[in-house]
Amino acid sequence: MINPVYFDAVIFSSLLVLLSLGLTLTYLTTKVPNFAHASFATIGVYMTLIAVRVWETNPYFAIPLAFVISGLVAVALYIFILKPLAKRGATDAIKMIATLAFDMVIIACINIMADALVDAFKVKTREFTLRSYDLQFMDMPMIVIAAPLAVIAIGIALYLMLKKTKFGIAVRASTENPDLSGTVGINVNAVYGIAWWIAGGLAGVAGALMALWFLGDPNLGPLLIPSIFAASIAGGFTNIFGAIIGGMLVGMAEILGTRFLASELGSWLIAYRPLIPLIIIAVTLMFAPQGISGVNWSKVRSKIWR
Amino acid sequence: MALDSALIFIIDLAAIFSIYAIINLSLNLEFGYGGIPNFGKVLAVGAGAFVAASIPGRIFASMMGLEGDYIQNNLILLADINVWLADNVVIGFVVMGFTLILAAIVGGALGAATSYPALRLRGDYLAITLLAFGESIRVIGNNFPPLVGGTLGVQVPDPLAFVPDEMRFPVASLLLLCMLIVAYVYCEFTIRSPLGRSLRAVRDNEMAAETLGKDVGRVRMKTIMVSSALAAIAGALYAMYVGSTIAIGFDRASWTFWPFLMILIGGLANNKGVLVGTLLFVALRKLITFFKDSLDFVPFDVVWLDLLLLGGILLAVLLFRPRGLIVEKPTHTLGYKPKERGVKRIFNLLFR
Repeated sequence: MINPVYFDAVIFSSLLVLLSLGLTLTYLTTKVPNFAHASFATIGVYMTLIAVRVWETNPYFAIPLAFVISGLVAVALYIFILKPLAKRGATDAIKMIATLAFDMVIIACINIMADALVDAFKVKTREFTLRSYDLQFMDMPMIVIAAPLAVIAIGIALYLMLKKTKFGIAVRASTENPDLSGTVGINVNAVYGIAWWIAGGLAGVAGALMALWFLGDPNLGPLLIPSIFAASIAGGFTNIFGAIIGGMLVGMAEILGTRFLASELGSWLIAYRPLIPLIIIAVTLMFAPQGISGVNWSKVRSKIWR
Repeated sequence: MALDSALIFIIDLAAIFSIYAIINLSLNLEFGYGGIPNFGKVLAVGAGAFVAASIPGRIFASMMGLEGDYIQNNLILLADINVWLADNVVIGFVVMGFTLILAAIVGGALGAATSYPALRLRGDYLAITLLAFGESIRVIGNNFPPLVGGTLGVQVPDPLAFVPDEMRFPVASLLLLCMLIVAYVYCEFTIRSPLGRSLRAVRDNEMAAETLGKDVGRVRMKTIMVSSALAAIAGALYAMYVGSTIAIGFDRASWTFWPFLMILIGGLANNKGVLVGTLLFVALRKLITFFKDSLDFVPFDVVWLDLLLLGGILLAVLLFRPRGLIVEKPTHTLGYKPKERGVKRIFNLLFR
């Protein structure tokens, strides 16, 4: 029997990869860190809850649903708030506050929905766990396989899309230079809108998967935000594939690192797990502000081996 | 002397207004004048409240020679301390004044430490770092009981214990209003000082300010320290006013998001606007809680209506009235003006 801590680590890392992939994608398009990103995942969590407890179906049916709904919420944020703000030339800080305000609205809506679900279907909607509803695969919970598989599949799909398709070229062009891409006939707004949809959708998928292993709660978003940003910053914030490495790093550091330190120094340390992403953010910004993908590794190597 | 509910409402409004106004003035200094997006305001406020909750009570207990663990026997100890404070008014005020200074120092130091990694990077990195650190204050408070009693919270000694019960809150509100006036005058002086001018220069054109010899990182660091110190004082005052502190009370919504909402409604870089915005917002929130029971037509819990409404209002303000109610005055070039002195100068600061 494998120690469940490793399950924790694998699943949490996969989630962070999915979340920071989306965050990096939206950051590339609108150049604004989206503080509402974690709440898109909370929407996904509730999709799984609804699929399992209300419709009583296979929990994995919630994944496409979460992709669509969280994606639509993200597109709404882009079209109705960030785009008009950008048009009027609002500063980055104002856009960030707008995402914070949007986050508040989403959290309020999720809470209202959670209360409504309690009233209508008598299901537990706060601090609930759905582990027992997961399928079994080779004597292991299916999610342990499904989460990393989803990450690999999505990573390959994103890579192929960005590098091999016409749409991917359009995405890269319009993040690089929106004005120039506009003049060569790329509909920059549509490209950004679809990028936001994909980003929100990935967050929704992460949430839908997360519901099968971790505790679900309407206020998950604020708890996840530091880890997601730590993953994105460690990955460089402007490199989609850096986000994959960043997510793995932060996820493993948070779970296995805490576990290791707790076994060495005492179990009181477990409570301080949320400080790990903060330390990662601070260290990355001080020593390698461009993130892992921005470090010139050959230079580092030559310095060490000199 | 019994106070009727309307009067109690106004007295409480005055106190909460004063505390939020101090926080907002400090945030306005950072964000309005300096353009520093401090999304971790809760860190400084919480630090101040934690200092007020953990330090003065222990000082009083050791002065009185009380035995027992401060956190575990908190309620009993605090009852004794408050009885003792009623007879030792001067010592009470001295220790509480010392607490405020300590809160300011701790707040300023935390502000400097948390902003240091991202100070020289782009604004969004600073925002993310501060936001992430702001989330941590609750976690630490929750998990480290000696600080503020973990999940149970602690009581805070009341320096106004000598005031008769029904007059305690009016007196506290009055004192808080006085603190607000001091903070207001201080902020007005600060924005007129060389620091205030270089702050606006950095906000409006970082590169130009740098070519003129301003160290952008230093100016930002100084501002964050001053403003965090001010916010920490407000946090300590809040803890003293409420009489207890609990870690989960220091969430991002109440102490980061709402201050931003208030200064954006009032108008950035404008201290009068900050006061107007704070008053509007605090009154609106108090009215929602006050008339909670009569809001039957809302089909869900009123707590969420609060969040929904405030988030919606902020989005509307950002989209349709981005400069707030009172717009920042343009900076004029220096011309000859007769010097104002003494009382007149303070009068002009406040009312003109």
